[in-house]
Amino acid sequence: MSDNLEQTLQLYAILKKEFESPQPDLQKCGFYLAKLKISLSQMSLLLPEGEIPSPKELLIAREILEIGAYWSVRVKDIPSFERYIAQLHTYYSDYSSSLPPSPQMYPLIGLNLLRLLSQNRIAEFHTALENIEPEQLLENVYIKHPVHLEQCLMEGSYNKVWNSRAEVPAKEYLFFIDILMGTIRNEIASCSEKAYSSLPLADAATLLFFSGLQEVLNFASERGWSVNPTEKKIYFTTKDDNKVEIPSNSIIQHSLNYARELEQIV
Amino acid sequence: MVDKNSRKSTRNKKSAEEQPEQPQLPKRLTRSAAKKLEESKNKAPQPNEDIEMVVDNQDVEMSQADEVEDEVKKASEADALVLADLKQNFLLLERAVATIESRFTTRVLRTTASIRKRLNVDILVQAIKEAFPRDSADKSRLLSYLSKESGIMEIDPDENARDPASILPEIDLYLHLLVLIFLLDKQEYDKGILLANETIIKIKNTNRRTLDQLSARIYFYYSRVYELTRSLSEIRPILLAAQRTATLRHDDDSQATLINLLLRNYFHYNLYDQADKLVSKATFPETAGNNQQARYMYYLGRIKAIQLDYTLSHTHLLQAIRKAPQNTVTAGFQQAVYKLSIIVQLLMGEIPERSIFRQPVLRKPLIPYLHIVQAVRIGDLANFQETLAKYGNIFRSDKTYTLILRLRHNVIKTGIRMISLSYSRISLRDICLKLHLDSEEDAEYIVAKAIRDGVIDATLDHEKGFMKSKENVDIYSTNEPQIAFHQRISFCLNLHNDSVKAMRFPLNAHRKELASAEALRERERELAQEIAEGEMDEDDDVTDF
Repeated sequence: MSDNLEQTLQLYAILKKEFESPQPDLQKCGFYLAKLKISLSQMSLLLPEGEIPSPKELLIAREILEIGAYWSVRVKDIPSFERYIAQLHTYYSDYSSSLPPSPQMYPLIGLNLLRLLSQNRIAEFHTALENIEPEQLLENVYIKHPVHLEQCLMEGSYNKVWNSRAEVPAKEYLFFIDILMGTIRNEIASCSEKAYSSLPLADAATLLFFSGLQEVLNFASERGWSVNPTEKKIYFTTKDDNKVEIPSNSIIQHSLNYARELEQIV
Repeated sequence: MVDKNSRKSTRNKKSAEEQPEQPQLPKRLTRSAAKKLEESKNKAPQPNEDIEMVVDNQDVEMSQADEVEDEVKKASEADALVLADLKQNFLLLERAVATIESRFTTRVLRTTASIRKRLNVDILVQAIKEAFPRDSADKSRLLSYLSKESGIMEIDPDENARDPASILPEIDLYLHLLVLIFLLDKQEYDKGILLANETIIKIKNTNRRTLDQLSARIYFYYSRVYELTRSLSEIRPILLAAQRTATLRHDDDSQATLINLLLRNYFHYNLYDQADKLVSKATFPETAGNNQQARYMYYLGRIKAIQLDYTLSHTHLLQAIRKAPQNTVTAGFQQAVYKLSIIVQLLMGEIPERSIFRQPVLRKPLIPYLHIVQAVRIGDLANFQETLAKYGNIFRSDKTYTLILRLRHNVIKTGIRMISLSYSRISLRDICLKLHLDSEEDAEYIVAKAIRDGVIDATLDHEKGFMKSKENVDIYSTNEPQIAFHQRISFCLNLHNDSVKAMRFPLNAHRKELASAEALRERERELAQEIAEGEMDEDDDVTDF
């Protein structure tokens, strides 16, 4: 057991050096991480249960997992990031009494929140939010950022979301914000379809945060808008609201239900 | 002259502590002072001089002693009453075991609430001594939990006491339950934990169906005593194991209670996703009592509210309110449920009715929520932020703070709706000013989103920078009335079905009916025969003609 620990410590030292160097070789890091995970699970630290191992071992395991989480963001591997965060969750919540608080905890929690937002999993976002203490919600800069973003998304002030790009507390956030941008672009587009009858091309570019006209045209053709090049306007196809369909299926089902229940009344 | 015999008897009675519930007399003498008075009166002969003063003194002292005596008498009478109640409960428990009817156990448990207020050490000691056999280990252990309170612990060889050969496990556990409740009320939590652990081990070892309701209650107090000592997470594995066992044994009451206890445990530590998983995996028994169902509905409502499923959450919370008894005993529960349901209604976009806030039980605790409702109704963001800051602490302790934060968006929505209804055309700049938004771009995006979500019916004109509302549509020509009617109809039908399912008939009543039915049939047959014979006779007569 102890030489296993020795090996792990050595590998961990190499990994840390590699990762913190200015130009980390991500491939090699990945390789080290895989080996470390195997040794961690051999020491039953990956999913700790039963007797509590020594705090030093727990600390090392936690730091390895944290590096793993950051690495998966750099290589843009979202499922692996999800896995690391899930494993880290036990360390943060259940062992919070025996371990000193990690400086990476809040950045990582914030990153996780942002990831949930970008994947539009709002229910899980809010559930995860409940686990954070209320003071941290308002004070901690890493947490405040996703919370603020979520509020803006709910309201629909997408320009704030765009501006928040400049104010990220950590550069890993940029990765998820880019994903988020794609999502909100679709949102803005669908809002604009309903709200505007027509829109000049230049304004469409600013609204959708596009930098060039060509991108606007591509986007418009994707969404099926009709572009009038002479006037430089986009016309949105308006649906015909005047015909109100009778939802015959549901009415039939409801009526049959009522009839059945009434018959059952003795 | 005060009766000397009665005074002697008060001295010989067991030393009972003064009941805390006894009405406060203006001049209460302590036990020792009263004793001293008696002794001084009995020993010292009164000198003949100053006899008037002394007589006056004596009169005053005697009236005080009278009052003390009365109190002690009242206390002992009350004690005797409670003891009689307990014995009655024991008999009921025995009947429950004999007939395997859960009704008797329910009756016993219902009286627990009133007995709890009148319990004291001596009653418990007396009851334990009378119920247990002479040299039972459990008896001495139970007595040891109480021994710190009572004054003198004598092993009273009381010949009149009943000495059963063995004790029913039901009565045994019932006494454990009473002692546990008593320790809780006295706030002796450490002893409570020890006793609770022992009782739980006992429950696990016995597998009797008649114990179900008692064991459910015991689990409840077990969890409560841990909660009061803030060590809830320790018992989570035990509760989980117990829940599995209860499900295997089809023990509905314990199952329901344990699920609720586990959910409460998770909520205490904010582990909502674990609570969600528990709800999805464990089925809540339908036949559990209304109290447990009400609690379960409330927990479900909370989980759904956090997961943004407001309609479902609202349904659950309404059911919880209806299933809970509507009197003042459940005031705390009603307050909690109403608070949550008001916020959920706001999040759904409806304004709760004013009448809710006027109910006497709810008026004071709901005041902060009334202010929030008003702020949301007007659509004033500044007002909303102010109210939030003012009552922030209350919301945090109610654990509704995060939900109320989500209301910010609703305030803006309402504001936009008001504006679109009142103006046929309004510039974006003005919208921005009215809603206290940060910039025109903001306003534009927000209004666009609101239009898409169907909050308002309008169009935006980007170049000229204004919003133009559409004409109002007659609402009766849409599907709205049908949807509203459908909601009400389905609620009434569900209520009807639930009531039919809840009807209970006494078990063997149909046999009595059968017997009477048979008798009826016999008589009918005889009657028919007579008529038939009668007719034939007549026919004979006719044919004779």
